[in-house]
Amino acid sequence: MHPILPVEIQVLSLAFLLAFTAWVIWLIRSQRLHLRESLAWLLTTLAAIAVIAYPKLLVAGARLLGVEVPANALFGLGLLYLAANVLAATIAISANTARVRRLTQECALLRAEIEALRASVAPRAAGPGVAPPGALPPG
Amino acid sequence: MRVAAIVPAFNEARNLERLAEALRTRAPGCDVCVVDDGSSDGTARVAASLGLSVLRLPLNLGIGGAVQAGYLWAWERGYDVAVQIDGDGQHDPAFLEALVAPVADGRADVVIGSRFLAEGGFRSTAVRRAGIRYLSWFLRLRCGVRVTDPTSGFRAAGRRAIELFARYYPSDYPEPEAIALARRAGLRVEEVPVRMQERAHGVSSITALRTLYYLVKVSLALVLLPPRNEPLDGA
Repeated sequence: MHPILPVEIQVLSLAFLLAFTAWVIWLIRSQRLHLRESLAWLLTTLAAIAVIAYPKLLVAGARLLGVEVPANALFGLGLLYLAANVLAATIAISANTARVRRLTQECALLRAEIEALRASVAPRAAGPGVAPPGALPPG
Repeated sequence: MRVAAIVPAFNEARNLERLAEALRTRAPGCDVCVVDDGSSDGTARVAASLGLSVLRLPLNLGIGGAVQAGYLWAWERGYDVAVQIDGDGQHDPAFLEALVAPVADGRADVVIGSRFLAEGGFRSTAVRRAGIRYLSWFLRLRCGVRVTDPTSGFRAAGRRAIELFARYYPSDYPEPEAIALARRAGLRVEEVPVRMQERAHGVSSITALRTLYYLVKVSLALVLLPPRNEPLDGA
């Protein structure tokens, strides 16, 4: 029977996906990638490895989706894989943007509070800008 | 009735002295809070030297984040009314009292200063006026609220509106969306006539090319409003 995936392609893809997984794991271990954000990458990459290692899964999947040519199903799934991970990343960015905004506001509110306190403790030393820390009276 | 004037300012150091003077003479009795949105021209320093309260944002958040910082400030300090007034000289503090009145009378929670209800004054270009008319129509269609000048950043907020905006305020081009959110939360929105002036120094942050993006973005935001605001619990 004609193979679904040529062996060379299979080997190359597997090598690439395994290297990619190793990279992601290394990033997690060196604490540059949070496990929570990388879970989507790990799970989807494992699924891709399964499909490449056992191409029959791809044929079954293609039949399930009603796609005649398994290669087309592969393209479709590949796009889905990328889109899902990019969306997960964008969601994380949006959440962080909201957090940065709130923290920035809190910083400004706290700074205003501190400057008001400084001015009330050492009214002469506190100029319009930032009073030197040494301006606070001892005790 | 304690009134706070929130002045969002991005590189407005040159306009602040005039505004502070106008606020002192035309709207005495209100506390001014300048929100320096990450300016590089010493806006915060100038504001502090004028004796105004300053919130200095360490990063540039854009108008939405800056205005919200002001509402957080007003909410924490228990102000009854917060009036947004631009730092660029477009808004005349003489109208501050008129903006506050409907809130003080308990008739409204949000009061918009509309340049189209007043005679004369600066009315923007024809293209932008058309855009404003469209947004006004769209807001009425979407939320059933009648506002002639939905892009006006000269507005007053009562206690309930301060709480809502401190909790949630839209980010870029927030003015029309904020009206929709207030309406969604069951707040009463009203308009009063104000005369606006052309800005004294600097250029408007909305260039001709951005007008289209503005309209698309705001329309989308209005279409995609959250289904319901969380109930206000007075926290």
